[in-house]
Amino acid sequence: MSAKANGLGRWYVIAAPYLWLLIFFLIPFFIVFKLSLSDVATAIPPYTPTFSWSEGIGKFISQLDFENYTFIFGDPLYVNAYLSSVKIAAISTVLTLLVAYPMAYGMARAPKSWQPTLMMLVILPFWTSFLIRIYAWIAILKPEGFLTMFLMKLGIISEPLQIMNTTTAVYIGIVYSYLPFMILPLYASLEKINPALLEAAQDLGSRPWRAFWQITFPLSLPGVFAGCLLVFIPAVGEFVIPDLLGGSDTLMIGKTLWNEFFNNRDWPLASAVAVILLLVLTIPIVLFQRQQQIERESGR
Amino acid sequence: MGVVTARDPQASNASSQRAGPRTAAPQSGFAPWKNPSLSPIVRFEGITKRFDDFVAVNDVTLDIYEKEFFALLGPSGCGKSTLLRMLAGFERPTQGKTIVAGQDITDLPPYQRPVNMMFQSYALFPHMTVEGNIGFGLRQEGMPKNLIAERVDEAMGMLELRQFAKRKPNQLSGGQQQRVALARAIAKKPRIVLLDEPLGALDKKLRQQAQFELMRIQETTGTTFIIVTHDQEEAMTVASRIAVMEKGVLVQVATPGDIYENPKTRYIAGFIGDVNVFEGTVSAIGDGCIEISAKDGYQFKTRSSEPVSVGQQVWLALRPEKIRIAHEQPASAVNAIPGKVEDIGYLGSISHYHVRTAPGERITALRANAAHTVERPISWEDGVWLDWPVDAGVVLTG
Amino acid sequence: MNKNFSWFNLTSITFGFAFLYIPILLLVIFSFNESKLVTVWAGWSTKWYSALLENQALKDAAWVTIRVGLVSATVSTVLGTLAAITLVRMGRFPGRTLFSGMIFAPLVMPEVIIGLSLLLLFVAMGFDRGFWTITMAHITFTMCYAAVVVQARLQDFDKSVEEAAMDLGATPINTFFQVTLPIIAPSVISAWLLSFTLSLDDLVISSFATGPGATTLPMKIYSQVRLGVTPEINAISTILIGIVTIGLLLAAYVTKRQTERSERERRKAFGAAG
Repeated sequence: MSAKANGLGRWYVIAAPYLWLLIFFLIPFFIVFKLSLSDVATAIPPYTPTFSWSEGIGKFISQLDFENYTFIFGDPLYVNAYLSSVKIAAISTVLTLLVAYPMAYGMARAPKSWQPTLMMLVILPFWTSFLIRIYAWIAILKPEGFLTMFLMKLGIISEPLQIMNTTTAVYIGIVYSYLPFMILPLYASLEKINPALLEAAQDLGSRPWRAFWQITFPLSLPGVFAGCLLVFIPAVGEFVIPDLLGGSDTLMIGKTLWNEFFNNRDWPLASAVAVILLLVLTIPIVLFQRQQQIERESGR
Repeated sequence: MGVVTARDPQASNASSQRAGPRTAAPQSGFAPWKNPSLSPIVRFEGITKRFDDFVAVNDVTLDIYEKEFFALLGPSGCGKSTLLRMLAGFERPTQGKTIVAGQDITDLPPYQRPVNMMFQSYALFPHMTVEGNIGFGLRQEGMPKNLIAERVDEAMGMLELRQFAKRKPNQLSGGQQQRVALARAIAKKPRIVLLDEPLGALDKKLRQQAQFELMRIQETTGTTFIIVTHDQEEAMTVASRIAVMEKGVLVQVATPGDIYENPKTRYIAGFIGDVNVFEGTVSAIGDGCIEISAKDGYQFKTRSSEPVSVGQQVWLALRPEKIRIAHEQPASAVNAIPGKVEDIGYLGSISHYHVRTAPGERITALRANAAHTVERPISWEDGVWLDWPVDAGVVLTG
Repeated sequence: MNKNFSWFNLTSITFGFAFLYIPILLLVIFSFNESKLVTVWAGWSTKWYSALLENQALKDAAWVTIRVGLVSATVSTVLGTLAAITLVRMGRFPGRTLFSGMIFAPLVMPEVIIGLSLLLLFVAMGFDRGFWTITMAHITFTMCYAAVVVQARLQDFDKSVEEAAMDLGATPINTFFQVTLPIIAPSVISAWLLSFTLSLDDLVISSFATGPGATTLPMKIYSQVRLGVTPEINAISTILIGIVTIGLLLAAYVTKRQTERSERERRKAFGAAG
C-alpha cells in the first residue's frame, strides 16, 4: 500500500467530520455576528439588509451598524440579565459541587465491586429526558406540592412553601440536572488517588480531616475544575430551568434571548445578545478546552 | 526427594556466595537479643489478624530491639506486610497486643504512633516538591518553619537530594524517588522506621547500591529499621536478624548466618540459598554423630544438634558449597556418592555442577574456579565423586 | 481497598441517590393516579395512558421525534467515530486545534446559542425548515458526544494491534473494519444510544431549527407543561423513562453476557492449554 494513498485516505477520514462542523457549527457564528449588525424589519426573513448581488457588497456592508449593541448596553434590563445569569450559574455551580463532592468521594471509596453499579446509577438520570426531570420538580416545589405536604405532615411548617417560581427553585433545578456532570469528573480524579498516599500522610502524623485537605482535596482539583466548568458554562445560558421553575424576577439571559427571538421576533437583537453571551463565556470555554487537552494528553 | 532450589536461582546463587561467611559482618558484636537486661523496643504479643475466613497473621510473638535492622522475610502472601501494617497502625489486629517502648499502642491511630513508614510504591505526594514531601511530617507537628527547613535540609543532605529540592516527584528517576521516600520517613526522627519492600521497584544494580545506603542511614541515625522483603539476598545483606514467615506463622527468627547455616525447616533451607535435601530415617545414634539411611539406599554419617531417635524420619540438608567434587573416589571420605555431570553453570569465580546419581537424584555442588587448577577440569558427562564431612550437613526434622 | 462502606460514605451516597431518584419515582407513581390532581393519591388507574392513545397530535409528534432520532443518531455516530479517530489516531495536521475545539465546545455551549446560530444558517441557505433541519441540527451537537464516547475507548486500546494487522498486509480500511471496529464496537453502540436519547430529549435546539409542520415530542410536552402539571404528561414521561430504562438495561445485559462469554471462552482456552 503506497504512502500516497494512505495519506489520501487519511484526509477522507478527517474531512467528513471537519467539514460538517465547519458548516454547521463555526460558520453559523459568523452569520449570527453579521445579523447582530443588521436591523429588524417586518419581512421574511425579519431583518434588513439582506445581501443581494445586484446591489454589491459595499452597499450591504454600509448598512450594518452596532445599534443593537449600544441598545443592549444602554438598557439595564440586558446588563442585569447577564450579571444575574453569571451570578445564578456561579452559585448553582458551588451548590452542585457541595452536593456532588461527598457523593463522588463516597463512590470512589466504596467497595470496588460496587463502583460500576454506582456509576451506572449516576449516569442513568442523565439518559432520561432533561425536560421531564425539570417537570418532575414542579410537582414537588409548587405550593400544594409534595415537599409542602411532606413537611406539613411532619409538623415542620404550617404555611405552604413559596419556592416555586423563585430563584431558589432555579438553583434546585440546576443542581439537580447538572449533578452527574459534576460527579463524573470528580469521581474520576478521586478514584485515581493512590490510597497509600493517605496512609503515608497519616503515618507522618496527619489526622484524617487534615489529610483530606492536604492530600485528597488538592489532588482532586482537576476534577473540581472540570466539573465546575461543565456546570457553569451551560448554566449561564440555561433556558428551560428558569423558564419552568423561575419566577418573573428571575433574570437569565437564555430566557431573554428566547423572548427576543420567539416573542418579539427581533432576530438581530437576539443575535447581538448571543454574541455578547458568547464573549462572556469565551474565557471559561477556552479554559475548558485546555483542560480537556491536558486530560487527553496525560491519558495517553 | 532430591534438590530443593529457591524460586529465583540468579539471586540465590549470589546469596550463597556472600551469605556463607556472615560471621565477618559488621554487626557481629551487636546482639541485644542475647542480653536479658534489655527490653525490646517493639513487642508483638500473640498477634493474629483475620480477614473474613483468611488468617493472614497467626499468633505471632516477636521482640525487636533498639538499633536493630530487622527483616521480615517470606514469599508474597505470607503475612509479613500485614504484620508491618499493624505496627504502622493501618490494620488492627484481631487478637494480641503491639507494644512499642513499653507502651501498648494497639489502639492508637497511625498518626499518633512513633513510627514512620517507607511505602512500597513510595507514596510520594505528587502535588508537593521534594522539600514539601520531606517536610510533611514535621509540618504536622507545628514545628517552627526555620527548624523544619533545617531538618529537611539535613535529611536531603544525608541522601544527596539537595539539588532536587524544588522538583516534583514525577520529575525524578526511580532511584531518586526511592531516596525521597526514605528521607521523608526519617525526617521526623522516629524511633522506628518501617520499610515495606522498599527496593522492589529498582533494578538489580541499583538495588544493591540502595541496600548499602539503607545500612549506612540506619547506622548513622541509630534508628531501628524493620524491613519487609521477599528477597532473601536483600534480607541477608542488610539485616541484623531475620524473621522468616510462612502462611502467617513465624518459622524462625535468627541472624542471617544462623538461618543459612542452621535452617530450622526444609522450607527455610530451600527459601534461603540452594540446598540439596536427602530424605531418610535415623538408623543409629553414636557419639555426637548419627547415621541416616537415605530413601534411595545411601548411608550418611552426620553431626546433629537436633534430638532424634532411631527410626525417626529426618532430612539431611547440604549446601552446594559444602560438597566436594572430584574425578577420583576420595580415599577416606565418610560420605561419598558417585554420579555423572549433567550440567555446569559457569558463574565467573565459581561454577555449579549438577550431578545425576545412580538412583536418579540431582545434586548440586559448587566449586571455586581457581586460576591454576592442577586437576584436569571437570566437564559434561564426566563421572565424578561427591563427598562431604560429618559437619557439613544439617539434620532437619520438619 | 475497603471491603465495606464507611458510615460517612454510605450516608452521602444514600442521600445523593435519594435526591436523584425521588423526583423521578414520584412522577412515575403519580402517572397511575386516578385523580386529576397530581399530588393527591386517589387509587390506581391507567386511564391517562389510554387518553394518550387518543391524542393524535401527540402521536404525530412522537413519530417525528423517533424518525429524527433514528436518522440523526446514525449519521452522528458515523461522523463522531470518524472524529474520534481523527483526534486519537491522526497525529498532528493543520487545523487540529480548531477541530478539537469544535468537538468540545458544543458539549458546554448554551443550547440557545447553538439553536439560534443553526436557524440563521438554515435561513441564509434558504432551506425549508422542518424534519430535515431538525435532523441536521441534532447531528451537529450529538456527534460531539458520540466523538467523546468513542475517543475514550480508542485511547484505551493498544495501537500495536492495528499495526500488527497492517504488518500482516491488511489495508487501513480492512484494518479498520476487521480489527478496530470490532474492538471499539461497544463504545460505538453506546455512542449511538447516547445520540438517540439526546435527540429524543432536545427541546431548545429543535424549537429554533423547526418550521411549521414539524413538532417534536419535547416541544409538545413543553407547551403543555407551561400550562401546569397534568397526569397525562406524567404518563407520557413515564413511557419515555420506561423506554430509556429498558434500553439501557438491555444494553447492560448484552454487554454483561458478552464479557461473561469471552471470559468463559478464555478460561476454556487456558484450561485446554494447561
